[in-house]
Amino acid sequence: MKNTFRGGVHPAGHKDLSRESRLRLFDPKGEMVFPLSMHIGKPAKPVVKKNDEVKVGQLLAEADGFVSAPIHSSCSGKVKAIEKRRVLGGGMAECIVIDNDGLFTPAEDYSQRTEPSTLSNSDIIERVQKAGIVGLGGAGFPTAVKLQPKNPDAIEYVIANGAECEPYLTCNDQLMRIHSNEIAEGLELVLRLFPNAEGVICIEDNKPEAIEAMSIAVSDKPKISVRAMITKYPQGGERSLIQAVAGVDFPTSKLPADVGCVVQNVGTLYAIQRAVLYGEPLFSQCFTITGEAVTEPGNYMVRVGTSYAELLEAAGGVKEGLEIRKALSGGPMMGIAIGSLDIPIQKQNNGLTLLATDPVEEAETVMTSCLRCGRCTTVCPMGLTPQLMADAAIAGDLERYEKKLYGMDCIQCGSCSFACPAKRPLTPTFKQAKAEILEKRKREGGAQK
Amino acid sequence: MNTTLNLSAAPHARDKWTTPFIMRMVTLSLLPATIVGILVYGWNAFGIVALAIVAAVASEWLFCKVCKKPSTIWDGSAVVTGLLLALSLGPQTPLYIPVIGSVFAIVVCKGCFGGLGKNFINPALAARCFLLISFANAMAIKPLVDAVATATPVGAMKAGEAVDITRMFLGTADGVIGSSILALLAGGLLLWSMDIIHGQICFSVLIGFTVFLGLFGGKGFDPAYLLAHLCGGGVVMGAFFMATDYVTSPVSRLGQFIYGCLIGILGGLFRLKGNTADSFSYAIIIGNVCSPLIDTYIVQKPFAYRKMIGKTRKTRKEPFRIPRPVIALTLIAAIAGVALSGVYSMTKDTIEEQKLLAEAASYKEVCPEAETFEISDTAKAKLEELSGANWGTDFGATRINEAFVGKDASGNLAGYALSVSSKGFGGDVTMALGLTPDGKVSKIAFTELNETAGLGMRADEDAFKDQFPGKSGSVSLVKGDAGEDQISAITGATVTSTAVTNALNAGLDFYETVLKGGN
Repeated sequence: MKNTFRGGVHPAGHKDLSRESRLRLFDPKGEMVFPLSMHIGKPAKPVVKKNDEVKVGQLLAEADGFVSAPIHSSCSGKVKAIEKRRVLGGGMAECIVIDNDGLFTPAEDYSQRTEPSTLSNSDIIERVQKAGIVGLGGAGFPTAVKLQPKNPDAIEYVIANGAECEPYLTCNDQLMRIHSNEIAEGLELVLRLFPNAEGVICIEDNKPEAIEAMSIAVSDKPKISVRAMITKYPQGGERSLIQAVAGVDFPTSKLPADVGCVVQNVGTLYAIQRAVLYGEPLFSQCFTITGEAVTEPGNYMVRVGTSYAELLEAAGGVKEGLEIRKALSGGPMMGIAIGSLDIPIQKQNNGLTLLATDPVEEAETVMTSCLRCGRCTTVCPMGLTPQLMADAAIAGDLERYEKKLYGMDCIQCGSCSFACPAKRPLTPTFKQAKAEILEKRKREGGAQK
Repeated sequence: MNTTLNLSAAPHARDKWTTPFIMRMVTLSLLPATIVGILVYGWNAFGIVALAIVAAVASEWLFCKVCKKPSTIWDGSAVVTGLLLALSLGPQTPLYIPVIGSVFAIVVCKGCFGGLGKNFINPALAARCFLLISFANAMAIKPLVDAVATATPVGAMKAGEAVDITRMFLGTADGVIGSSILALLAGGLLLWSMDIIHGQICFSVLIGFTVFLGLFGGKGFDPAYLLAHLCGGGVVMGAFFMATDYVTSPVSRLGQFIYGCLIGILGGLFRLKGNTADSFSYAIIIGNVCSPLIDTYIVQKPFAYRKMIGKTRKTRKEPFRIPRPVIALTLIAAIAGVALSGVYSMTKDTIEEQKLLAEAASYKEVCPEAETFEISDTAKAKLEELSGANWGTDFGATRINEAFVGKDASGNLAGYALSVSSKGFGGDVTMALGLTPDGKVSKIAFTELNETAGLGMRADEDAFKDQFPGKSGSVSLVKGDAGEDQISAITGATVTSTAVTNALNAGLDFYETVLKGGN
């Protein structure tokens, strides 16, 4: 069995910049900003008012509905305001702003361990929900929802995603090396919810230390195995992992649970273990600050709400003589370019990559017409035909894009744009086309009502 | 904080492959063939290559200038077009030919359709076909050794003669500049191993061609026969460098496979039934124009829609399925085969009838003194004894079909009329040969002539036929001016000229040994 998926690309890893940097906790000094929407679903509802005193781990906003997640404070201090602030993505969003007193007084004692045997399945789900855990791989989907599929007995695989295929990022690597036992325990807790499932921890083979640490951690757990995956982007994509492990392909209209799989990022599993056994809500996560333009690239446990700029200062700032050309929240393949570093780190963020040169800008100078070379088709992990999709999208033929070319099944992994020798901006084109089609569906759905 | 942060949509990384890189790799992979070509064929070949490339780049530059578009010569595609065109020309081609071809390729085939990535046929191939049709004489491949009239390997194969595969393999046989199979294969396999060209195209072209020739070539899967055909006539160059052109080939894997098979089968069909050695170019051009159609109907389905979904490896059973390409290839081969044999059997009788009528009329034409034609017993016995075998050993694949003694109105000997067939370029060359009572040629007329238009077909012109009256005994074929007992060959159609000469000599020999004296 090949431990990989079809297609994919091999971007330069650049992981040596930060891979040996140990995870350390970073305590910021400035004000902390908590956007009310750090997850997929409805934004949380604030439960604190201006001038309220809050402590670390205290509930700031509660979940509003089933697909939503509560938000907890990551510092102690006073609520300064609940107002619109600039957030990731460039827009303004409602945020709770806390004046950090720098003491980080905890609201509760998070070192008391509850024995797993005393917990029922519903206890586990309840604790995960209350802790505000969302998918830390990047999407930010509320984890409690993911843990309650329609038919838990039909789940065959629980996949722990430690692939970390995104170039530059190394925080999951460090997390697996240091907290291997916690991750394994977190996976065991999740497996309790799915009686017929086996646990598979997938790690790309460029992280031998993490593979070894995890293998030792699961050696006494018969239902869990560790699998070394071929290093290839997007190995850490949910669908790529399911394809490699379970051998199933499924359209984007279906969820992993529909084909008997649940995928959890290793960071999420760590958070689950902390939440279920120690009652600690999610207010910090592992994070990599890296890139050629950073003086001391490194891995941190950052507190949610810390500003990117403050973390950059902690990492020694911008390297002498260099200027940042591009700042990315996340890595270069799926990261979001940010215009200003004065925005808060959210739950689902896991990296800041600062580049002194912008590969996109450089590529634009050698852009040519599409050669129809078919590299995009070769690398597409979904088996789509990006060159025809781009033709259809540019021609405005959304009908063909959607029906004939299955354009809605694009997962926007960026492999096609990366591989294109003509440097065509394929992925952004698809993102736009998909948004337009969704918009159209919404309009038509509204008209029918 | 600085304010010059660039914003753009993901992904923010790009592979090092660029369009110029791909073009450079294609150029590089054509270099071995170019070098061998220049070493074997000398300075004229070098001139052709250089002029074709320079003309291609210059016309691209000029076209962009005239159209007020940013110059695209740096992408390297013009160099590839020029080089491909040059390699598909004969080494003795006059130097203005590559220039005209390159300009046509870049301006008409590429520029006018919107430049790189927009042309609907391969520019280099289209230019080659344009040149073949417009400058048939100048484009003819002339042999290296000028003294003896030889034929290019494909010509020889079509005439049913043996060819030297080793020479074709190395590229020292007569042919185009880029005819070294070894060098082309080295380049093509390099591109394939780097994933620059698609294996499903080049190999399905070769397989389609081989299977078709094996099934319908009449020699079965004889390795020597198939190899000779594969090595000649630009099949390798076409499969690896022309058919794989990104722009003019389909996108989906299955589409590419069908496209490749189509080219291979058409190439084989044209090779067997066509009357030109350049048939492979036309096969690829037809493939090119079919590829948008293939792309419209065959769209690759995403993985998720291809097979049973919703079951994991643990819980599903994999049903056995015949791979779709196998089904497609079998179907195509079967359809082509049925169509071919159908057309043949439907038209066979009519063709034979027409032939007989034409022959009867032509005897009268070549032996005008005679009123009636009789067949003598000795001739009849001799022909029955031969029963379709070649006549003699000195005349190649030449057969005596019929032989008559002509009598005038009063029953006196008025001459002889023979029907003689010899292998030409496009199949049999059959001619009626009229002899005077004393064994001199009175006239010849063709009853079957399927040679290349503008080249071999010129055998039917008076300028060629008028050389024959008065000849007797044995004649030889020369290039240029003919002396006594010599026939001047048609430029660029040595196979046809040789066939006619062989037929004539066989007819004269048959007269000497059988007919002489009114038998």
